[in-house]
Amino acid sequence: MAEGLNKTYKVPIGPVHVGLKEPITAWLDVDGERIKGATIRPGAIHRGIEFMARDRNPIQIIYLAERICGICSFAHIVAFVRAVEDAARIEVPARAQYIRTIVLELERIHSHILWAGVACYTFGYDSAFNLGMILREKVMDVLEALTGNRVNYGTGTVGGVRRDITPAVGKVIREMIDFYKNEFGVFYDVVTDDPIAKARMRDVGVLSKEDAIAYCALGPTVRGSGLRVDLRWSSPYEAYCDMDIKPVVPQDYTGEVYGDVFDRFLVRVLEVYQSLEIIENAMAGLPSGDLMWEPKLPKLLNYLKQADGTGLSSIEAPRGDDTHAIRLTGGQDNITWWKVRAPTYSNAVSWPIMFMDNELADSPLIINSIDPCISCMERMVVTDRSTGSGNIVTKSELIERCRDKTRRMMGS
Amino acid sequence: MKPRCAEYTEEYVSPDKVLSLLRRKFRKTADSMELRDYKGGAGNETAYQCLWVQVEKQRFLDLVDALREIDFLHFQITSGDDIGEAVQLNYHFSIFRCAGRGKRLGVTVTVDVPKDDLVMPSLWSRIPGIEYSEREIREMFGVDFDGLPNKALVFLPEDWNEDIKPWRRDETGPRPEDIRELS
Repeated sequence: MAEGLNKTYKVPIGPVHVGLKEPITAWLDVDGERIKGATIRPGAIHRGIEFMARDRNPIQIIYLAERICGICSFAHIVAFVRAVEDAARIEVPARAQYIRTIVLELERIHSHILWAGVACYTFGYDSAFNLGMILREKVMDVLEALTGNRVNYGTGTVGGVRRDITPAVGKVIREMIDFYKNEFGVFYDVVTDDPIAKARMRDVGVLSKEDAIAYCALGPTVRGSGLRVDLRWSSPYEAYCDMDIKPVVPQDYTGEVYGDVFDRFLVRVLEVYQSLEIIENAMAGLPSGDLMWEPKLPKLLNYLKQADGTGLSSIEAPRGDDTHAIRLTGGQDNITWWKVRAPTYSNAVSWPIMFMDNELADSPLIINSIDPCISCMERMVVTDRSTGSGNIVTKSELIERCRDKTRRMMGS
Repeated sequence: MKPRCAEYTEEYVSPDKVLSLLRRKFRKTADSMELRDYKGGAGNETAYQCLWVQVEKQRFLDLVDALREIDFLHFQITSGDDIGEAVQLNYHFSIFRCAGRGKRLGVTVTVDVPKDDLVMPSLWSRIPGIEYSEREIREMFGVDFDGLPNKALVFLPEDWNEDIKPWRRDETGPRPEDIRELS
């Protein structure tokens, strides 16, 4: 496509993959290779989860909440049960709070390594992708040892947790920390020291500080723009109340902020180290005591039936602030309403700004940089409005375009 | 149109002061305002607080602007329910996101939108990040937003019958035959 003809073409990216919470279609206006505008259309797979929940009691909704997302399923459970605990005034035992924190951080490690690997894959750095996938196996093994499952752990419940950290599991977690401390540095080095990787991510998909604030960006996306925003620090919950968490921002490590894909990459990779430290601290300070506020389920359900009030909870999920709000009405088994705001809901609003004046070949990387699902780009249709003709660009062709750019840069 | 530059304040104001300021300015609903403690950790001490505020629809924008004078109003989500005569909306905001450890203040503003006049002023020009949520409330509850430029469907499919408002509990809500039970 020629550039500079003052004629834009609309390029839709979508529809989407069922595997993730936020399926999104992006309509890009392109002039040649330059993206001049973008319109986002989510909702291709809105499942009406909040509507379904009206016919369920809080314990049943835990299993619904867990299935909002595969990667951060525990983050959704914790956000949900905390909202219920807020509405019903339930205090969680200290040991349960610490176990929640440990699982949340394990999940963050899992999510960030997976994301970093997939980002490398997107621009054709397959060896780094494979290295990331190998590293990620370790934390999945630990999650399996602790909960019995690699995803959807079924570990959280209203008023506590359902799995304990036994001495055997504790040993596995400590081994994992040692493993990552020795092995993860290699992954960090191969990507941050690689000139091509840096060239592909530097100055791509820039989100300025002002835009990050105005468009209400969250998590690593807003921290990548240099803002110290982290709920584990600004409104601590669970075991984070006993820890001093410093939000990870690029200027503390590189001395400057670009707010680009590279900065978001850096924030996520550095947060893996932070999570290891948090898990280490939580393991060291793990209090003894009960796992649940009320272990007898019928008694708990009866209490929740009497409860009357509105609850709110925001926690720092791997992709940013995950907010759940819930209303319980006294005398009713089922909840009255429930609202979920996953981080991508907010972060996707910033996409059009990140796309502006970038190359079409960078679009997969930009979409990926806020950490939604890369599989969301099942296919893409390029339409020439003047002739009305349309042809379909598949996901693999789009990835190939992205990789071609890397090859051009390497001069091969 | 590019919204004005945004920044977070460095002048922190304690939650008690924010509460008394709002109570002074919005006397009519002052009694409904509540500051809730959120506790945690091994010592079970208060880690942060959230403000719960109710306001009449006519004074909603005044309240939002009063909060914006304190700090950039970070928008999280709108929740809501059909309560019979009105659609009740809860705007979940936060301020002091960047102000220090434990200093973030969550602010939930509850407004009743009467069903005979289902229109709310849009906050889009003040907080562009609110766009999806206003479009969602519009399609799910049928509440219109005055000043929102893009009113297209956001989560419902293109061929959706817009007379059906999925989250309403009255005659405009989904009828039993509109719901397909999967099990």
